[in-house]
Amino acid sequence: MTVLTTERCCKRCRNAQSARSLMAEVHIIGQIIGATGFPQNSLFCKWGIHTGGAWRLLSGLKEGQTQVDMPQIGDMAYWSHPIDLHYTTKGLQGWPKLHLQVWHQDSFGRCQLYGYGYCHVPSSPGQHRLQCATWRPLGSWQDQLAQIFVGGGPQLRTPDLIYSGADRYRLHTVAMGTVELELGVILRHFDRYGVET
Amino acid sequence: MTSNNPSAFLLMVNGQIEGANFPEYDDMYCKYCFVYGHDWAPTSGLEEGISQITSRGSGSQNLVWNFPIDITFKSTNPFGWPQIVVSVYGPDTFGNDVVRGYGAVHIPFTPGKHTKTIPMFVPESTSRLQKFTSWLMGRRPEFTDPKVVAQGEGREVTRVRSQGFVTLQFNIVTKDIKKLGYDTTSTEHAPAGLSGTQQPYGT
Repeated sequence: MTVLTTERCCKRCRNAQSARSLMAEVHIIGQIIGATGFPQNSLFCKWGIHTGGAWRLLSGLKEGQTQVDMPQIGDMAYWSHPIDLHYTTKGLQGWPKLHLQVWHQDSFGRCQLYGYGYCHVPSSPGQHRLQCATWRPLGSWQDQLAQIFVGGGPQLRTPDLIYSGADRYRLHTVAMGTVELELGVILRHFDRYGVET
Repeated sequence: MTSNNPSAFLLMVNGQIEGANFPEYDDMYCKYCFVYGHDWAPTSGLEEGISQITSRGSGSQNLVWNFPIDITFKSTNPFGWPQIVVSVYGPDTFGNDVVRGYGAVHIPFTPGKHTKTIPMFVPESTSRLQKFTSWLMGRRPEFTDPKVVAQGEGREVTRVRSQGFVTLQFNIVTKDIKKLGYDTTSTEHAPAGLSGTQQPYGT
């Protein structure tokens, strides 16, 4: 993939605005709305955004943790966690991926993993409503039996496996609930480079 | 009106806080305020407001405020896009004014009409004893600044309970966003010469 533009050295460019105005930019503005379909309700979510090497984060937090919600009505736990990110990019590879870990906090304050999930940030501008399905690693029958009585359960050693397909062939997982997100994408200068979205 | 090289774009927000759906509570009023980034500035309109106190109608589960929102923002950068933070208050059993929910949502950025239903949640007491004393004294846990709800940091340790929904309507108009190079809508959804809601004759 050809590089879209060469990055000018800060010493040379007089105006930071003009240097930025050549690069393609992506704004991701939205919310992690909540989660539904999990066995228990008192849930929170750890989230992060992973991008390729050509992407640079200009402003915003690229990871975080939501509040813990115990819904009084209905089944869905609501977080309304805002996401506001500003990326600049030199290439299309490594389009941002949002990865999530849904955890359950019980009344004693203990946290148990309920699911991993990921979804790509939409590549067309506009507002999108996404449902991200989640899964949980399944251990041996001894692990499952212990999980019924004391909770806990196997977790991934590194979170990279959530959004990469490289080493998954040995993993046995079980489906869990869905996380709802509303993500808005604003693109800038993509048409200048002939990119159609 | 027209400028060849605009340096900033405008976002005009018209709308209303239509009403709320709280199955267990009644007689409530709401407050709203806007949270936005450093590059944004409101140019006209009210940034904050308090509504009237409304009760449930007969035979209807919903509370209606019909509270107008009218504000225009100016910015150079979509980062820090404004969010509206709504807080709802109502009386408890002893007549004290307690918070019934906080909620926040980004203002939509595509021009047009939007309806949003946002969940409202309250902070939970840490222990059962604190829950009982706060119920007795009428001083429930609340956020010192409702704007916290619009931020992503510092919420990891908050435990909340969601107990209702608020419905908002927005009409959005933007100016010069396209001239600055920003694409906020997918071009395939807006065929040339037709708006998104019109249907060509004969189909």
